[in-house]
Amino acid sequence: MAVSSWRMDVPGLDGKCGQASRAAADLALGQDALLTNAEVTQANFPLPAVQNLDHFGKKVEDLVKPDHGTTTLGFIFKNGVIIAVDSRASQGSYVSSQTVKKVIEINPYLLGTMAGGAADCAFWQRNLGMQCRMFELKNKKRITVCAASKMLANTMYSYKGMGLSMGSMVAGWDPSGPAIYYVDSDGQRTKGTIFSVGSGSLYAYGVLDQGYKWDMDIETAVELGQRAIYHAQFRDAVSGGTCSVYHITQSGWVKLRGNNHYDLHYQYYPDGHATSANSVI
Amino acid sequence: MEYVMGIKGKGFAMVCTSATAVQQIITMKHDEDKILPLGTHSLLATSGEPGDRVQFSEFVAANVRLYALRNGSKLSTKAIANFSRGELATALRKGPKSTNLLVAGYDKGKGASLYFLDYLATMHDMNIAGYGYGSWFVLSMYDRMWHPDLTEAEALEMMRLGIEEVKNRLVVASPTYTIKIVDEAGIRTVTV
Amino acid sequence: MSISTYNGAAIIAMSGKDCVAIGCDLRLGIQNQTLATDFKKVYKIHDRLYLGLAGLATDALTLNQRFQFKHNMYKLREERNMNPATFAHMVSKTLYEKRFGPYFVEPVIAGIDDDGTPYITGMDSLGAMETSKDFMVAGTAPNSLWGVCESFYRPNLGPEELFETISQCLLSGVDRDALSGWGAVVYVIAKDKSFVKTLKGRMD
Repeated sequence: MAVSSWRMDVPGLDGKCGQASRAAADLALGQDALLTNAEVTQANFPLPAVQNLDHFGKKVEDLVKPDHGTTTLGFIFKNGVIIAVDSRASQGSYVSSQTVKKVIEINPYLLGTMAGGAADCAFWQRNLGMQCRMFELKNKKRITVCAASKMLANTMYSYKGMGLSMGSMVAGWDPSGPAIYYVDSDGQRTKGTIFSVGSGSLYAYGVLDQGYKWDMDIETAVELGQRAIYHAQFRDAVSGGTCSVYHITQSGWVKLRGNNHYDLHYQYYPDGHATSANSVI
Repeated sequence: MEYVMGIKGKGFAMVCTSATAVQQIITMKHDEDKILPLGTHSLLATSGEPGDRVQFSEFVAANVRLYALRNGSKLSTKAIANFSRGELATALRKGPKSTNLLVAGYDKGKGASLYFLDYLATMHDMNIAGYGYGSWFVLSMYDRMWHPDLTEAEALEMMRLGIEEVKNRLVVASPTYTIKIVDEAGIRTVTV
Repeated sequence: MSISTYNGAAIIAMSGKDCVAIGCDLRLGIQNQTLATDFKKVYKIHDRLYLGLAGLATDALTLNQRFQFKHNMYKLREERNMNPATFAHMVSKTLYEKRFGPYFVEPVIAGIDDDGTPYITGMDSLGAMETSKDFMVAGTAPNSLWGVCESFYRPNLGPEELFETISQCLLSGVDRDALSGWGAVVYVIAKDKSFVKTLKGRMD
C-alpha cells in the first residue's frame, strides 16, 4: 500500500527545507541556524555483529513487535495548528495500555507525535528533545520546526534498514509561522498542512478531509480533530483509549482536550446509535 | 482499484461501484456496470476477481428470476442475500468464488435493506458498508455523516464526497463510478 | 493472522443455582476493521438452551443454520426439545464430521435441564468437549476472560447476581482485547425467569 520511497535524503544536506522558510529561519536565527549532524550530541549504539544488516533489521522488526495500533493527526488552519492523538498501545490484538502519551512536548512551541514502535518513538523523540535543547543553548535561539524535523529525519536516516519503526509529525510555531513536518523511519520527511499517521490514519483522513476548512474557528478545529480521532478509534480495533487535542499558536501549545472514548461515544450518541449498529435484540 | 460503497437511508438504499474494467495495469473500460438489477426492487453491487464476479452475479440473477417464474412471487431482499450466502458458503470449501457483494433492496412493509456479503460468505445487515482500500477512508466519513433519517439527497451527497475522497487520497483510485438507488418506485441510476 | 481471530469474538457462559447465563460481545470485524457492532454470536436453540459460536463468522452462520435445522428435525421426530447434553453431543459429532476440513468455530453451550439443572460445555473446532460446572469462555480474548471469571465467579448465584457477574466479566475481559467488545448481550436462563439484556461497553 505504501509507495516505496527512494533514498534521496543525504545527512547534512538540507534538501527538503522550503526556500522561503529556510530564508526566514536564517534571518531570524543567524547564518548557522542549522547545525550539522556532527555538532549535535548523538546517541550511539553498537552495530550488531552480523553479515547482512538489512536482513537482520527486518528480522528484528518482527521480534520487537512494533506498536502499530495508533491514530495521530495534525493540521494547520487559519488560527494555528491542531494535533490530536489516541492513547492505545497494543501487542498484536492484546491491548497493553489505554493511557499512552503519544504527544511529546519538545518545548513550549514544539510538539512531536508518535506512531510505530513504542520504544523507538519514545526514545528518539526524547533524543530530539535533547538535541533541540542543545541547539537552543548553543545558539540562544529557539529551533525552527524545519530544523527540528530535519534533525529527527537525519537520525532516522542514519539508522535506515536497521529495523527502527517510527511515523511522526513534528509540529510547532516558529518565526516563519505554523508548520507540520512528517518524518518516518524510512527517512522520509515532508512538509504539509494535513497529516495523519498510524493504523487508523485512513479513517481519520476520511473525517478530516470532509470537515476541513482553512478559516475554521478554534472550537470547530478542535472538535474536528477530536471527531476524526474518535471515528478512527471506533473503526480501527487497535486504536482507542482517550483522545487528546493540542492547539498551537504564536504563543506556544496548549492541551485543550483529553477525553475517554467511552465518554465521547455516549456524548455523541446518547442512545447508543452508531452507523454500524442496527437494532440490537 | 475496486471500490464498493453502500448506504441505507430512510426508505431507500444506494450503492456505488467503480466503473472501470482493469486488466493488469491497463484500464480497458470506463463504463463497466458492476451493479446488477435483481428483479424490480433489488440490486447486487459486485466486486472481486472479474471471472468470478460476473459468473456468480449472473448465477444469482438467474436463480432469482427462476424462483419468481416458478412460484409467481418474488424473493425478498433478505431471501436473495441468504440464498447468495448459502451458495458462497458452499463454494468456500470447494472452489471459492472471490466476489464481494452488497445486496440492496426495498421490500413492501419492511422498507430498505442493505446486506454486506463478502467472499467468505460473512453476511450482515448494515446501514453503511463497503469494500476495498477506498472503504478505509470512506467508512469513517460515512460514520460521521449518517443518521437514521437520511434522505436521498443527503445520501447522494455522501456518495459524491466518498468518490471525491477516494480520488483525492487513494493512489489507485478509479476515474469513473456508477451509482444506483432502489426505493419504493424501483431502481434508478443516478449521477453526481 | 489466524483464521480463528479473523472476525473477533468473546463468549462467556456461567452456571448459577438452577440457572445459567451466556453472553457475547457484539463486534463483527475483518481483522482490525470493525464492520458492525450488532453482531450477536449467541443463538437460541430453544427456551432453555443457547449456543454461542466464536471464531470465523461465516462458519458460525453456517453452523447455526445447520443446528437450527437439526433441532427442528429432532422436534418433529420426538415432539420435544433437545436436552442440553444431547445437543452438545450432536454439536460435537457435527464438528468431528469435518475432522479434515474443520469449521473454524469454538462453540459454547449453555442450558438447563427440565428440572433446572445447569449444563455448560465448551468445545474446540473439532468437537472435543469440555463440560464445566462453573464457567466456560471462548473467543479472541480467552486469557483475560478466564482471568476475570476465575476472580469474580461464585457458585450458586441466583439469576440477578449471575447476570451481574457475567456482565462485569464480559465487559472487563473484552477491554483488553482489540478484536472483541463494542457492546455485549447477555442471556440468563432460569426455570421460570429468563431474560436478555444488552450492555453498554467501550466502543473502541
